Amino acid sequence: MKIVLRVLSVAALVAVGVWLWTVLFPSPEKVIRQRLATVAKRASFTADESALARLADAESLAGYFSTNVEIDLDVPGRFQLTITGRDEVTQHAAAADSMVSSLSVKFLDVTLTIGPDKQSAVADFTVEARAGGDPDLIVQEMKFTLRKIDGQWLITRVETIRTLSILNLELPRAPSIV
Amino acid sequence: MLPTYQDNSVNFVNRLAYLRHDPKRGDVVGIRLSDPGITRPSLLYLKRIIGLPGETVAFVDGQVLINGQVLDEPYKKYDCDWNLPPVTLGPNEYLVVGDNRSMPAKYHVFGKVESDHIVGKAVL
Repeated sequence: MKIVLRVLSVAALVAVGVWLWTVLFPSPEKVIRQRLATVAKRASFTADESALARLADAESLAGYFSTNVEIDLDVPGRFQLTITGRDEVTQHAAAADSMVSSLSVKFLDVTLTIGPDKQSAVADFTVEARAGGDPDLIVQEMKFTLRKIDGQWLITRVETIRTLSILNLELPRAPSIV
Repeated sequence: MLPTYQDNSVNFVNRLAYLRHDPKRGDVVGIRLSDPGITRPSLLYLKRIIGLPGETVAFVDGQVLINGQVLDEPYKKYDCDWNLPPVTLGPNEYLVVGDNRSMPAKYHVFGKVESDHIVGKAVL
């Protein structure tokens, strides 16, 4: 009986140890998934939020991108937009906040590929966004490239993926804010 | 897919439809946006197949040309003036388009899709 108790105690200790290890040292995949969820949350806002809170969120959002981030957006029927650098991210996020009354952003079906060096990663997913006053959902396949910089996973490149590829049609360019 | 399918309506996609044969022209199919590795995608496009693998498809003044021949499209409710230079589809590619052709082509989501992105056939 004593042996059984000892074995059970050791097993419980090992289980707690493994659980503690995963909490204290989460895998890159877990960290990146949490950060992506936070980015989607920061990009979203409700009509009730004050302008100050929205501005704080916009600045906080920029912190998830590298200083030299490159963002190349091409959403069919909506806009084409190129953003370079963290400062431009803040400006565009703040401008978007003032253009729509509310915004709900979700990242769905995230697929992560961690680089062999564990210092880089690529995230593919579908963005579902709904802007206040717009009856249509915005649905777009996206690809984020991330790098671990100074211990933090930062987004270094953002690009849209054309699920249905074909056309060389000219789309309206979003007005430049900078 | 207006006017064939209405916004906010519930639609079903038969995932078994293409187990025994390939998709056919005129079929309305569910198309995943996500990686094919994700078995239950959260979102699907509903689009109609107009071009089959290996075919050359073009739009001329709103009419679809398949290998230079005009395609009869009885399901099309609105005329359009779309023009698209000929596109030749690869061995696993289909050309899909929505039925709502009343909008300018540049605002319409349509194009080539690989067969592994086709989830199944829409059930009316």
